Formats: sequence, structure tokens, C-alpha cells
Amino acid sequence: MSNGIRVASLDDIPQGEGIAVDKAITGTSDNIALLRDTDDSVYALDDTCTHETASLADGWVEDGFVECPLHSSKFCLKSGEVQGLPATRNACPHRVEVRDGEVYLFPGETP
Amino acid sequence: MTERVVIVGGGVAGVSTAASLRSGGFEGEVTLVDLGEFPYDRPPLSKDFLAGAKDIKQIALQQSQWYDDQRIRLINRTAVTALRPREAAVELADGHLLPADRVVLATGGGAARPPVPGIDSERVHVLRTADDADRLRPSLVPGARLLVVGAGLIGAEVASTAVRLGCRVDLVDPVAVPLAGALGPELGAWLHGLHAAHGVTTVQASVESFEERRTGIEATLTTSAAPRLYDAVVLGVGMVPCTELAQAAGLEVDRGIVVDERRTTSHPAVLAVGDPARVRRGGVLQPRTEHWEAARHDGARAAATLLGTAPPEETVSWFWTDRHARHVEAVGHMDAATHTVVRGSFDGPSCAVFGLRDGLVVAAASVDDPSAVRAARRMIDRRLPVDAARLADTSVKPRDLLRG
Repeated sequence: MSNGIRVASLDDIPQGEGIAVDKAITGTSDNIALLRDTDDSVYALDDTCTHETASLADGWVEDGFVECPLHSSKFCLKSGEVQGLPATRNACPHRVEVRDGEVYLFPGETP
Repeated sequence: MTERVVIVGGGVAGVSTAASLRSGGFEGEVTLVDLGEFPYDRPPLSKDFLAGAKDIKQIALQQSQWYDDQRIRLINRTAVTALRPREAAVELADGHLLPADRVVLATGGGAARPPVPGIDSERVHVLRTADDADRLRPSLVPGARLLVVGAGLIGAEVASTAVRLGCRVDLVDPVAVPLAGALGPELGAWLHGLHAAHGVTTVQASVESFEERRTGIEATLTTSAAPRLYDAVVLGVGMVPCTELAQAAGLEVDRGIVVDERRTTSHPAVLAVGDPARVRRGGVLQPRTEHWEAARHDGARAAATLLGTAPPEETVSWFWTDRHARHVEAVGHMDAATHTVVRGSFDGPSCAVFGLRDGLVVAAASVDDPSAVRAARRMIDRRLPVDAARLADTSVKPRDLLRG
């Protein structure tokens, strides 16, 4: 069982926003967006919106959802489930843990 | 309990109605009747689809499996020719009657073709459907002379796409600052100026007439300039709502299909959504909202009406547009603002304008700063009092503007 990759401090991610972790670090096919909700929970989704090329890390994070910065497709932070058009495909979620103010990412593991 | 819903039209309003019915737990039959092969998204028609960077399958609103999964029956390549609410049915082009306890009109609109001499030429294009884009695309070759009439959203996007493809583009509009009502005069003027910076020639004029020539189509403008020859013309001068079905069925129509706030027409079994719907609120007919997101919300609203559930929360209207690789968003009604606050510099990497009235934000527009508009939208919806100095301060992040 891996301990995950330490990818950021919680303080690196402003509340209601996100940061992208490069795929060179995560080893995944896409970068991974770390998204800090308004209640300070941290979630991780594939960074590229499933609709067009936009970074979800630049999106608006609020009340359990992230809104894509291009066309406002919304995705559930926990499951990646798309909430409505224009995107039609879910975003892939990854497991995240916050320990002692450090954010650990488990790329490819289902939350 | 409503058993059979027929949705007429497969644009975003129609598909959103179908999707929202199912996500809201509707168990009856849902049938979507559409003219095309399958419902597709229209914003790319003036951008990637027109440029040939995306094909029709890549702009499908939903994959074909989705209709099966959601138990939505799609009747494609078919027109509804009449509503028969008394018989609980709609009539299809082949005369067949399709049972319908409730009907949702998502009929969209057609492109306006003003009564200008010569405008019916095959060289004069409009852009509402994928077929329109397919007809226009072969004309957009390097060196082609293109006239775009109307510098609103579609005209500006087509001009941007065409100049990128190497066309020589003239863009005419009688208004000095197109979209000023939505973006404000300052940002509107700057954005219009982007055309010239990217090689599009803008002319403040209307078209007086078109005349077919052997080698092209000649356009005479309302300026004193000599007529100019073009290979193709694109009209982006507004849309005409498709109200024929409603009108023939005796529903109330007034430059749109009149609906109440729950999207019910003057006939209780018929609803209308999206571009052709015109809402009467507090006894007053509102302007139609011809935007993508408003159509999506309309679908959710109509579904709630059919389900008898609470309608979704109202939110101020929002749109995006892309031109010359810049992403523009706007929310609210800038012409309702008494003054504006600019955030950032128009010539910087990103900027935004907030429109204020009585200490509240009533509108905002941004270039490559969508978060500013997303913040503004929440300020408007929640009626949050704002501090103009903080709005202008780019060191305060948009997210923090809501935190007071």
C-alpha cells in the first residue's frame, strides 16, 4: 500500500480554487487538479475538462463542485460526475489525503 | 401523472429538457423529435466546426448510447408539422400522429435575412445549423474575399475563424461599438478593435444591395465607397424565433412564444423553452434570452414544471464568446449600470469590467478572466454589496471578492 505522493501543502491551494499537478509527477495521462472546496476538503480530478481543453484547476470550486473556466460544465468533486451540458463525460477522480497540512495524492486510486 | 412528453427540437433546450426529466425521476415516455441526424451543439458552428477542426460527431450534444440509457426516444430527420393538444398528439411530416400528453416546444430560431436586394444569392450564407456551416466552409480558403454582415457574437466569431483560415475579411456593422449593451462601451470598443489588430477590416455601415457577378457577389454599402466584390457573404444579423407551430395551434405569440415563469404557454399542455420562448413576468413581456446557458436552464425549468417539482433557482443571464483566441464572458445587463469599474488593463493578459448600480453589481464582462465574471454572477444573484475599490484591485482574487 503506497503512502501516496506528497504533492502540495494545504496552504498552497487557496480555498475555493485549485492547482494542477503535472503528469510528470503523477505518472498519469493527464495532469491532476487538486481542488480545495469551500469547507477545506481537498479533492483530485483529471485536470482537463472532458468537454474542451481547459484546466479544471483554474475553475470555480464551491459546495462540492468545480465549474470549468471555459463553458461552466460542473463536476462533482467527490465522484467527478458531470452535472450537465456542455460536458457529457465524467471527470476521473483520484484519492487524496491531507495529513498534517500536507496533501498526498494517490493517482489512479478511486477515492 | 403525465405519461408521454414530446419535445420538439434537439437543440440544447430540448436535450436539456429530456435530460432533466430523467434526472428528476420522470418515468413516462420521453420522445425528442429533431430535424437533424442527431442533436448537436451550436456554439462550435462558428468556431471549430466551421474551421473543420471538429466534425459533427465531435459536437454531438450526447452520444447515441445516452438516449438508450436514458430511455429517450429520438426521432431524427423529422419535422413536427402541427400540434394537436385536443387529441393529445403532435402531427409529423408524414402525417403520422405521435401521442403527446404534454409538448415542449424547443424549436429554436432561424437566421434573419433582411429584405436587401440580392440577398437570396447562393453566395450569401447564414449560420444556424451544421448544414449552414458545411455549405460555408468550402468558401473559407486562403485568399478568399469574405464579407461578414453584423459584428455581434456570430459575426465576430465567423470573422475571427475566417481570418485565421487565411481569408480576406471585411466586417460591417452599422453600430460603432457592437455589443456595447452587453459588454459596456469601453470593453465593447476594445474588443471590436481586436478585429483590425488581427487583419479584419471593420467598416461602420449597412449593406444596401448585393449583385451577382460572374466572379463573385458585389456588395454596395451605405458608405460612399465603390461596391466591392466578394467570394462569399455571411449574415450575422440576428435570429427569428420559430413560432409557426405555436401560432398555428392558436397559442399566444408575440415576437416569441409567450410563456409564464414555469415555461407553460397559453395552452396548459404545451410548454416552450430556449430561443423562441418569451417570458411574461409580473404581467410584463420580457425580451427573449438568446443564449446557450439560458436555453439549458429553460429545459431544467420546463422539466420541473412537468414533474411538479420546485423550479431551479433564477440566475442572471450569462454567455461566452471566443474571438481571435480570446475568451470573453459576460453576465447581467451592462446597460442597466450607472457606472463601471475596470479591473486590470484591456491591453494586459486579462481584464474585466463590472457594471454597478446603487452599490450592487448588475453586470460584468471579462476577457480571459472568467473567474471575475463567475464572482460577479454570484454577487448579482446574492445581491451582495460591493466595494468598488476592491473590484478594481487585481491583487484581490475574484474568489476573495465574495468574502467581503
